[in-house]
Amino acid sequence: MRRPALPRRARVSTTLRSGDQLSVRRIRWTLAIFAVLVLATMAKLVEIQVVDAADLAAISERQRARTLDLAATRGRIYDRDGDVLATSVQAATIYADPRAFRATSTPDGLEVPAAADAAEVAEALAGVLEQDVATLTERLERDRHFVYLARQVDHELGEEVRALELPGIGVLVEPQRLYPAGPLAGQVVGFTDIDAKGLQGLEARYDGVLAGEPGTLLLERAPGGLEIASGVRELVPPQAGTDVVLAIDRDIQHVAELAATEAMDRYRAIGASIVVTEVGTGDVLAMASTPGFDPNERGAEDPSDRRNRAVTDVFEPGSTQKALTIAAALDEGVITPTSQLAVPGTIEVAGSRFSDSTPHDGTSWSVTQIMERSSNVGTIQIAQELGPERLEHYLRAFGYGRSTALGFPGESAGILRPHEEWWGTSLPTIAIGHGVAVSLLQLANSYSTIANDGVEVPPRLVLGTVGDDGRLSPARRADQERVISADTAATVRSMLEEAVHGEHGTGGMAQVEGYRIAGKTGTARKPKADAVGYSDQYFATFVGMAPVDDPRVVVAVMIDEPWPYYGGLAAAPVFSEVMEAALLALRVPPDGAGADLSTAVRRAAEQAERIADAEVAAADAAARAVEEGGPGAGDAAAEAPASEQAAGAPAPP
Amino acid sequence: MSAITAPLRRSRPDLDGPADRHLRVVEEPVRRHTLAYAVVMIALFAAAVFGAVTLNALAAGASVDARALERHVGEAERVYAQLVADVATLEDPARVRQAALELGMVPPGPVRHLTLERTLPADGAVPPARTPDATTDPLKPLLSQER
Repeated sequence: MRRPALPRRARVSTTLRSGDQLSVRRIRWTLAIFAVLVLATMAKLVEIQVVDAADLAAISERQRARTLDLAATRGRIYDRDGDVLATSVQAATIYADPRAFRATSTPDGLEVPAAADAAEVAEALAGVLEQDVATLTERLERDRHFVYLARQVDHELGEEVRALELPGIGVLVEPQRLYPAGPLAGQVVGFTDIDAKGLQGLEARYDGVLAGEPGTLLLERAPGGLEIASGVRELVPPQAGTDVVLAIDRDIQHVAELAATEAMDRYRAIGASIVVTEVGTGDVLAMASTPGFDPNERGAEDPSDRRNRAVTDVFEPGSTQKALTIAAALDEGVITPTSQLAVPGTIEVAGSRFSDSTPHDGTSWSVTQIMERSSNVGTIQIAQELGPERLEHYLRAFGYGRSTALGFPGESAGILRPHEEWWGTSLPTIAIGHGVAVSLLQLANSYSTIANDGVEVPPRLVLGTVGDDGRLSPARRADQERVISADTAATVRSMLEEAVHGEHGTGGMAQVEGYRIAGKTGTARKPKADAVGYSDQYFATFVGMAPVDDPRVVVAVMIDEPWPYYGGLAAAPVFSEVMEAALLALRVPPDGAGADLSTAVRRAAEQAERIADAEVAAADAAARAVEEGGPGAGDAAAEAPASEQAAGAPAPP
Repeated sequence: MSAITAPLRRSRPDLDGPADRHLRVVEEPVRRHTLAYAVVMIALFAAAVFGAVTLNALAAGASVDARALERHVGEAERVYAQLVADVATLEDPARVRQAALELGMVPPGPVRHLTLERTLPADGAVPPARTPDATTDPLKPLLSQER
């Protein structure tokens, strides 16, 4: 039976309605899914771009960007003439990444073989680095990511290692501190550690100035390590350290060190220190201490040799102190230059008896004669007139008991107790330089005050710094203070001249031909190191200035445990040698009654004759040694410079 | 009677109406040079790309040159610093003294000082009458006999 057909319009309408609904439903589902996807994408975008943006950016930067630290070049240290005492050069540091010498596995479990064999690499490096193969192999096999193989070696050596192209081996450029003059002024300049941080001396004192500021270089690198040429490159250049100019004169420093070393040998001393200062400026032209050390090879030296004894060690000044006692008394009007004192052979104070080094039964001496003869008794008499309060005041004004303006690391302030704490024998002992302790620099500074017409000019080691423009920026000067009057200073200088040039002067060996010298000897026993009281050892000192009328230079010499131990015998000749060199270096015209031309010619001829005789003697000695066939004897004679044999070291007096 | 309705008959367009009521005669549209336009655009794009690549390449080349120059400057600074150190080492007074001694030189004896007793022509002054011992060299100093 045929189904009756629906009206056409009605059937079509029903079909369309069903399809539309299906399509709409599908579209809605699709839209919903799409919306979810879009929302998810949006959420992820928000997470990436907003929430995790900083972390992801950092990860990205870590992957491609690399920041290199750029070491600042440490400033140089110059002497007063611009000669280099300390500088930095670029050295090579050889390192290894031990991971390259052991097999590893990836997180996926894949085996990654070693890039090279540690033993083979060590074998290749041993000859270049002059190290033991076993030692190198042990280092290469350590369980670390970074191992130093050699630090701060020559640049050429680094290039040699780089040319080997050994896997796991790298070369870094590092600044290395060098002291071209070796031990010259070693204790003054000091040294740095291997990372260029000042450890001692002026390197430590001015570390903040010399060090500079390190810089950074940010650049982008491809995964292979190659730099992306057009990538980000941000350079923060390092700020080089500032150069420091010292007051030290390299030539005078050398002479002072040579003289100190020879004095140690000549007088069998355990140490010697010499300070040379320029009057008026307070410039420390030389500060030598022996035994010295080479800052380039500090590991091999005795650490005690590194200290700058001239400022760190103190000693009793002995008779050199008498000039200050008498200067104080003169300035206070207690005595006059023409005062005559009845000086007994001995004097008893607070139960202790004091006498002069040269016994006498009592005499009448002027103040000048007391200074010339270095009379203990006379000086104690003057000090008793002066009194402890004024004596302490003047000694502190001369710089006793306080550090100088140097600010040198380890500088000692010396020892001077307040007069309220003095006991009965303090006044007489301090008056003649015992019961107090000063550094050699303090002693030189006190005499510089006398040389500078009574005005104290604090000593200085640093003239200034050199800026980027290459100009010297002078260091700030410390304030000057008048200690004694100019007349008093001149009077004391004339008295000190008698101590050197006078008939009975104790400092005759300090004379310098052509110049008038003013100075004073000092001999003081050393305190026991482990007990109260004094030992049987001595400090021999001499401090003086020249020329007398207008002093330019002050030289102070201290010899530790010499033999003979008198300051006039051990320290005075050293003073003469150093003072002569300093006066010549500073081109100070002579003021003394020098020898005339004929005498000079005669002395030159004598000198030449001595040299010729020494050469003949050396040749004879060498010939004898060869004839005898004794090894070493002939060599020793041949190696000894004729000059040393001729001019040579003067025999101990 | 059929239930199928007859199709609707559309009315015929009124051909007899005015001709410009629905259709009108227009001019031939201007022919757009589509190909040329495309070529120009491609050329511009290519030029832009080429320019960008060229600039990038030039920048990369300049960067490489800059790196090379920096390395050169760094090497020159290294050599300079090393030379400064070497010169200072060679000027070390102890080394100079040792070298002089090895060459046979000897330390000098007492040093004498010379003073000029007369003005020099270079100072603009008329030199005084010369002494018999100094007749030729005006700069030759005279040993002072006063000291």
